[in-house]
Amino acid sequence: MQVFTSVIVLGLCFAAFVISHIKDYKERKVDSMTSLAKVIGANSISTFQFKDNDYAEQILNDLQQVSPEVLNACILDKQQNIFATYTRPGSDTFHFTLPSPGAKQFEFTNNSLFIYSSIINNKDILGTVCLRTDLKELNDIKATQYSIALIILIVGIGLSFFIAFIVQRYISKRILKLANVMKEVNETGNYKKHVDDLDKDEISTLAQMFNQMMEQIFISQQKKDEFIAVASHELKTPLTSIKAYLQVLESIESDETNKKYVNKSLESVNRLQQLIYDLLDVSKIQSNQLYLNVTKFDVDNFIDDAIAEFQFVAGDHKILRSGAEINHTIDADRQRLEQVLTNLLSNAAKYSPGSKEIIVYTEKRDQELLVRVKDFGFGIAKEELNKVFERFYRTKTNSILISGFGLGLYICKDIVKRHHGKIWAENDGNGTSFYFSLPLNNAVKSK
Amino acid sequence: MFKKLLFIILMCYSSANAIAQQREVEANLKAAFIYNFIKYINWKAPADDPFIIAVIGTSPVYNSLQEIAKVESINGKKIVIVHFNNPDDITPCNILFISANSAYSLSSILVRVGKGTLTISEEPGYAEMGTAFNFVLVRDKLKFEANPHAIEAAGLKASSQLLKLALIVK
Repeated sequence: MQVFTSVIVLGLCFAAFVISHIKDYKERKVDSMTSLAKVIGANSISTFQFKDNDYAEQILNDLQQVSPEVLNACILDKQQNIFATYTRPGSDTFHFTLPSPGAKQFEFTNNSLFIYSSIINNKDILGTVCLRTDLKELNDIKATQYSIALIILIVGIGLSFFIAFIVQRYISKRILKLANVMKEVNETGNYKKHVDDLDKDEISTLAQMFNQMMEQIFISQQKKDEFIAVASHELKTPLTSIKAYLQVLESIESDETNKKYVNKSLESVNRLQQLIYDLLDVSKIQSNQLYLNVTKFDVDNFIDDAIAEFQFVAGDHKILRSGAEINHTIDADRQRLEQVLTNLLSNAAKYSPGSKEIIVYTEKRDQELLVRVKDFGFGIAKEELNKVFERFYRTKTNSILISGFGLGLYICKDIVKRHHGKIWAENDGNGTSFYFSLPLNNAVKSK
Repeated sequence: MFKKLLFIILMCYSSANAIAQQREVEANLKAAFIYNFIKYINWKAPADDPFIIAVIGTSPVYNSLQEIAKVESINGKKIVIVHFNNPDDITPCNILFISANSAYSLSSILVRVGKGTLTISEEPGYAEMGTAFNFVLVRDKLKFEANPHAIEAAGLKASSQLLKLALIVK
């Protein structure tokens, strides 16, 4: 676009330049030839008065030295009869016809300039001087002008290409760098990321403003995280004692109705406690303080335990295990991995209220443990499959009916990541499958 | 016989007529040349006098000059044509045209001519003998000789525009 514009501008400039130059040349030519014709006219007044056409021809013959570009010249008398005539040696003779009165006193044809100048003595028109000038010089000038303009135009286009290339690289590079940082921040949520741009132009101003904005976001994010950490910590202690007293009350209460109410309270307290644990985990993840307590344990044992434990609270749903036995041990944080599996199972139960089954499928693939939790519920929209792992993200369609903060999958993702594994979701027609894979031989260090 | 005679007479008459016509054309041309000379001469005459062209000896040029004088003027001054029969009649004038028909010798005329008068003759060799301009026929074309000394002696100045067309004699 820049190049196209510059080509147009340059082209117009050159066209104007060449046209004005040629026009200028023509005007000057007309002026000089008209002056020449006037001088000849003035000199030939006396030859008219004394009918001396020999001398008039002598005047015209002087043109050979004075102005060799004149091809033909002629002095016509009042009746337009030829009084004297001249033809440059080597040129063809030419018969002049006067332009109609009042018309222009010069005329350009393909190769010649015609000049007509009246010979006036005391307001009497005695005759006309006619000149025919060769315009070979003009054509030469035109050719040179066009070629010079073309060469400069080509050089100009080349230069503008070159400059545009450099400038574009310089500017685009920096803007792309900024965009990359934005993209990275968008994906990782790392608001500490800064753009280094130390120049003093608009782009670096933009980068600086971006950095300032990022700092502010980081600070408010930090404050929020601190608040969550403090609040959940402060909530945890009283809640623990409430739960302890409720458990004691549940064990000593014998009245059925009272026992029922105490159990309801316990259920709610458990939910509240789970939420607070989640919030605490999130703030640990945010402040990078989620540590793994790595032990060696048997995979099959771990999966069966987790299923059994969840089956205890699952209510109507039946958890089925399918696929091959793994027969392998793993070095990992058992509690955290149980948290992941429990979380996936609880999501599966929550989002498939009508159905009866949840399938846990295990497989050993390329020294990796692959676990798939399949439900027969609502499913997740395709564009939301990745977003469900984001912090506080809840699916748009069914979340209103189902309780939750949108923290579970975020925590799962982090835990799996810390085990060098992967977690993802897939839609498979009827319901959703959540997968996670863990390397079996890649020992994870305690942190 | 009679027819032949008549034919000869007619021939003579018509040729005489043609000669007369040619003479009239020549006289007109000479008169026009004389009138044009005036424009190329630097005159020193006082401003309000009429411009006097004199002719000595009978010549058809006199009539042609009269025709010009009727319509033309010199810088707003009237042109007056006068005629002298013999040199004794000569009075101050601006131009004196010495007709080829003049019966008097050139020298007798020239001694009577005062300063400031431009003399013009029409006889071969007269320019060498002291007239300022002298009409000659070159290849049947009317040309004129100029004697710069005579012009200078008369206290006049001829323009180079005029002299370049003249055949200069010394």
